[in-house]
Amino acid sequence: MHRRQKPSAPEHKRDLAAHGGALSMSHNDTRSFFNFSQLVLSAGHLKSPPVLKHSKITYFEVEILDMQSKKQICIVDKVPPSSTLLDVKHRFHKACPQWYPSRVGLQLERNGPYLKDSINIQSLAVSSIITLYFTDLGQQVGWTTFFLTEYTGPLLIYLLFYIRLSTIYDQVESTKNFRHPVVHLACFCHCLHYIRHLLETLFVHKFSGGHTPLKNMIKGCAFYWGFTSWIAYYINHPRYTPPSFGHRQVSFAALAFLMCEAGNHFINVTLAHQNNSGSKACFPSPTYNPFTWLFLLVSCPNYTYEVGSWISFTVMTQTLPVGIFAFLMVIQMSLWAQKKHKLYLKRFYPEGKFHVATAEPSVEGRQGQGHTTTRISSCFKVKGKESTSSMSHQMQLG
Amino acid sequence: MAASGSSRADNGYGSQQPRRRKGPGALATAYLVIYNVVMTAGWLVIAVGLVRAYLAKGSYHSLYYSIEKPLKFFQTGALLEILHCAFGIVPSSVVLTAFQVMSRVFLTWAVTHSVKEVQTEDSVLLFVVAWTITEIIRYSFYTFSLLNHLPYLIKWARYTLFIILYPMGVSGELLTIYAALPFVRQSGLYSISLPNKYNFSFDYYTFLILVMISYIPIFPQLYFHMLHQRRKVLSHTEEHKKSE
Repeated sequence: MHRRQKPSAPEHKRDLAAHGGALSMSHNDTRSFFNFSQLVLSAGHLKSPPVLKHSKITYFEVEILDMQSKKQICIVDKVPPSSTLLDVKHRFHKACPQWYPSRVGLQLERNGPYLKDSINIQSLAVSSIITLYFTDLGQQVGWTTFFLTEYTGPLLIYLLFYIRLSTIYDQVESTKNFRHPVVHLACFCHCLHYIRHLLETLFVHKFSGGHTPLKNMIKGCAFYWGFTSWIAYYINHPRYTPPSFGHRQVSFAALAFLMCEAGNHFINVTLAHQNNSGSKACFPSPTYNPFTWLFLLVSCPNYTYEVGSWISFTVMTQTLPVGIFAFLMVIQMSLWAQKKHKLYLKRFYPEGKFHVATAEPSVEGRQGQGHTTTRISSCFKVKGKESTSSMSHQMQLG
Repeated sequence: MAASGSSRADNGYGSQQPRRRKGPGALATAYLVIYNVVMTAGWLVIAVGLVRAYLAKGSYHSLYYSIEKPLKFFQTGALLEILHCAFGIVPSSVVLTAFQVMSRVFLTWAVTHSVKEVQTEDSVLLFVVAWTITEIIRYSFYTFSLLNHLPYLIKWARYTLFIILYPMGVSGELLTIYAALPFVRQSGLYSISLPNKYNFSFDYYTFLILVMISYIPIFPQLYFHMLHQRRKVLSHTEEHKKSE
């Protein structure tokens, strides 16, 4: 902009000189002085100004106080305005090495909400000193570790019961009794389920790098491992009673189980692909794969398929503890799916004009078919944006 | 109101900030007053029944039979409190209240009523007396609080007498369960064994032992929580009195 004015100034002067030619000499003098001063003023800087002069930038100072005691823990100074909260957390970690960034919870006011890592420092600032309150979120663990631990446990525990360790079952009875084939099939299905989960955790799911408190991992592991021990005990027991309706019940349930497993897998792959291509603005749409057609009916078909797997497993083994486990999973998945559904509504239909039809209380409901065209057209209009919300990942991965 | 409160305060870690608690409406208050008055009266009936039976018999053994019916009725009636919390007319946590009420109901029905041989035990009297005194004070406390005329004596009693009554009640309960164990084992009460059609087994004897063990972590927590509450409530009242 400065450079542009330099060549135009002589032209400007020439124009005025042309105009001024008709007037008297005195007018001309004043006018020419006027023009000259304008030239000086409009000429701009004689040399290009430095882009970032250090004395001109307002650095921020971030004061970090302990939330409980209000005592100052440390001050992070010379924070450039373009940095995010995560940079501040890294600096804080350097100052106080025991608080690594994922463990740090910072709030603007006491008992306020925790601030996201991606927040810009400038948006928080009221003055050049920002005061933040620190809470220790406790030992954190990455999502991958969380899921790997949670799924490896049941896999191994069930196999321990399957091989009928002498400490668990009476050895004499174990060797005497004939094992119904459904017991072998149940072991195969159970292992298939957890191996699939493990492989998906390793190769399919993309975690946003979030963390979760260690306490959550302990609770999750206790729940899965405890229930797996309980159900494995009964299925592999020497006095196990096979299903009442015999082979027909077993084969039908096994088929349903395999279909639900396949469906769950394809849904997870679809969701992961969607994450990769970055088109998160669009609700996942069904593809040529028949298993993904469940997207037309429900918002979170991966949860539906998971629930289906466990119900089929219950029917296949006809074991009450498995039924209790399946029932608890239904409750858990419904809660997660409802949250996810609300998130989808907020993200894709922010006006909230569309009416939500819930198919049944436990299964996730969605908009009617009439709105399909509107949804597809809106998908083309809105550009996809990557949103890294760790909560959505938590809910996405049952 | 709840939606706006939760959307503002949700910090993504699942913990909610305390919402502004709206008190119960006039109808709910009237119902709660009636409920608490009825419960106070009921437990007073049990107390009077115990005293009369003691005076009539001359000894404190086997007094359970004289108050068996009112005890069962009014202790089971406490289940309504879970509904009160669920409907929000009482500002307590549903889970905590459910846990407390269910443990009482469990002891009344699944141990004392079901295992007839323990009904002559002295430990039964121990926890019945503890429960009676505690419940009379507690329900009258709630009644007066709802009517906004809480006498200091009731508040003091509620937050002080538990120091003796709570351990007394817990001892009575544990001794009763322990006394019931051999009879449960012998009769196979409430137990299912393999093999059966649904591949399920339940051993009531082991379950009772687990219940007894669970008292070890739970009792100290609740006890110290009550002590903490006591310090908070009674010192708060002291400050109020001094400032007047």
